[in-house]
Amino acid sequence: MMEITKRKFVTPGEVIATGPLRTENNVYRDGDKIISTCVGISEIFENSVRVMALSGIYMPRIDDAVIGKVQSTSLMFWELDINSCYVGILRADEVFGRDYSASSNDLSSKLRKGDLILARIANFDRSRDPLLTIKSRGLGKIESGELIKISPMTIPRLIGRQGATIQTIESNTNARIKIGQNGWVVVSCEDSSGLLKAIKVIKMIDSQSHVPDLMERVKSLLESEGE
Amino acid sequence: MANKTIIEQLKREQILDLLQEGKRIDGRALDEPRSISIETGIISNAEGSARVKLGDTEVVTGVKIHPDKPFPDVGDKGIFICTAEILPIADPTAELGPPNENVIELARVVDRGIRETGMIDLTKLVIKENKSVVGLFVDNSVINVDGNLFDACSYASVAALLTCMIPKYELQDDQPVQIEGEKSKPPVNTIPVSVTMARIGEHIIVDPNSDEWACMNARITITTNSDENICALQKGGSDGFTFEQLIKCSELAISTGSKIRKQLEAVA
Amino acid sequence: MGRKTDITLLDEKGIRCDGRKIDQTRNITIKAGILKNADGSAYIEFGGNKIIAGVYGPRDIHPKHLADSDTGVLRCRYHMQPFSVPERKNPAPSRREIEISKVIKESLQPAVILDDFPRTAIDLYLEVLQADGGSRCAAIDAASVALADAGIPMRDMVSACAAGKVENTIVLDVNNEEDQAGQADMPVALMPHLEKITLVQLDGMLTPDEYKKCLETAIIGCKQVYEIQRSALKAKYENGG
Repeated sequence: MMEITKRKFVTPGEVIATGPLRTENNVYRDGDKIISTCVGISEIFENSVRVMALSGIYMPRIDDAVIGKVQSTSLMFWELDINSCYVGILRADEVFGRDYSASSNDLSSKLRKGDLILARIANFDRSRDPLLTIKSRGLGKIESGELIKISPMTIPRLIGRQGATIQTIESNTNARIKIGQNGWVVVSCEDSSGLLKAIKVIKMIDSQSHVPDLMERVKSLLESEGE
Repeated sequence: MANKTIIEQLKREQILDLLQEGKRIDGRALDEPRSISIETGIISNAEGSARVKLGDTEVVTGVKIHPDKPFPDVGDKGIFICTAEILPIADPTAELGPPNENVIELARVVDRGIRETGMIDLTKLVIKENKSVVGLFVDNSVINVDGNLFDACSYASVAALLTCMIPKYELQDDQPVQIEGEKSKPPVNTIPVSVTMARIGEHIIVDPNSDEWACMNARITITTNSDENICALQKGGSDGFTFEQLIKCSELAISTGSKIRKQLEAVA
Repeated sequence: MGRKTDITLLDEKGIRCDGRKIDQTRNITIKAGILKNADGSAYIEFGGNKIIAGVYGPRDIHPKHLADSDTGVLRCRYHMQPFSVPERKNPAPSRREIEISKVIKESLQPAVILDDFPRTAIDLYLEVLQADGGSRCAAIDAASVALADAGIPMRDMVSACAAGKVENTIVLDVNNEEDQAGQADMPVALMPHLEKITLVQLDGMLTPDEYKKCLETAIIGCKQVYEIQRSALKAKYENGG
């Protein structure tokens, strides 16, 4: 197993390590030096180096689940705001099936401007905008709940190791939480105090994502009664 | 405003549902403005200045003062001009380039509110009648947008004017010359307070934030003076108000305005 | 330039008109993450300069024909508020502001890594609330913090500070009076780890020796600024975001 030997706050340009280490996320090599490209926490493993970024926008990756907001409709597809520098494209046949016809089907009858959907990124490369799909269980229009926007960098901390953090929040609040890797999260809950508590915990994780004892903080916030 | 953000359908429904119960999305009462913070004297190059936060809407305003030729038909009055700009840092949808109709409306409504209440006695700003007068130039720079820029700019303009110091000028060889070291407070008659309200369905709410702004049917800005007279009105939005609603709005403008006026008086 | 003045720019004890020593910068404070809506932001007070930097992006580029299919595009606007200077400034962009926008953009471009964001723009807005001497350096210092705050990948920070010549002496961080009545003003921007200078301009006349001294002096100032930039970024996260 690789062991973390050092965690440190770094800013762009800072030399994190030297020597024949593999460069992973958010670092680059300049001669013998390995240098950070962002504000984050550096992690030096036995044979590799990376930085966990503390801010930044969402870059689409194939197979990511994302939450998108319909921003326009055309004859053949919807365009969705997926909190990225690229718009998500959802083709009409994803919703209407292969029989879709631009003359007889009206896209806005199914999804209107402002509607939220949970989708998966089916395809994306440097030259094209990300193509979305909703053809899997659990994907599609989101009918209820409250949208919370957090940093996409925080999503791994919100989910936790093997989903531990998110499961702890859900089981303690009875809330159902849909997570987009793009930093958008929809929380729904039958009882309003559970809803408020779940939102409070998610926002806390967003602002404290870089602290080491995050899980303890989540638990103590969940256990605290009311306000 | 410059905000063309598409609001989520879920949030629109939530705002409407809450209003049915007499509640608002951020927990305020219907007639409750967001908290206002006012800082003055922040720009030493300006003769008066203020930074105002109305919730998350934030404005920096400066007053510049210099002598000028009076307007031809009002040679017995000083000049007062108020402008506004939404800086591109203020919102993802803010536009560069010449001001659009929303920004022009913003500047004119703020200008009119202050002008029409007669806040500043412009007759006291004459150096020589028909020849030379003092000009007050109030420039509002919006740095963060969260709805209701009208009131934020108005409070910032009023706070900057209340705390400005006017240099003394006299004519020498027909040219206005500043007399070093002599400055005076502005001739203030009254304190204008602008209160903007939105109608969403049949509900009237004071000081809409950007989510509420995005789903309102119509809005109105009412400016009152210290005697609680109504001095300026501006209706906007693609729908109207009933008579009863307009009466209610005026009452809200006076009751809410008197509380805000105390806060503005405190900076002077 | 060259305005007549009766103030003493440098006295016999080596003290400048604002009380500083020759190798001393004005007070500098930087705060990261001050705007809610922007993707990254910073506020700097550098002597009498008060500047807000806001970053949006990477994001969709408009108008579309400015897009580059291979890389993201950095755009920059340096803009003075009408009330930022003693004489009210016309709000429309002046030729000076357009030029400064360009040199600032070019001082930051070497640091930002935009290859991963084809067809997008990064918009950097520098709003000068109050101007004093050295506003372009202060703007660069705030811009670099705002870009890092936005999570834009960067090879290094960019730190800027001017040096100049006053009463035949090289001084660090020229203020407004010294700029107006002094002999030279040289703004410099530096990538402190890579030790690359990304901006250098000069108004005035320097001998070759003075030129070298002036550059060295400015670089020392840049490195001091870098420490303040770094603390500003750190403070944002230590205070719980």
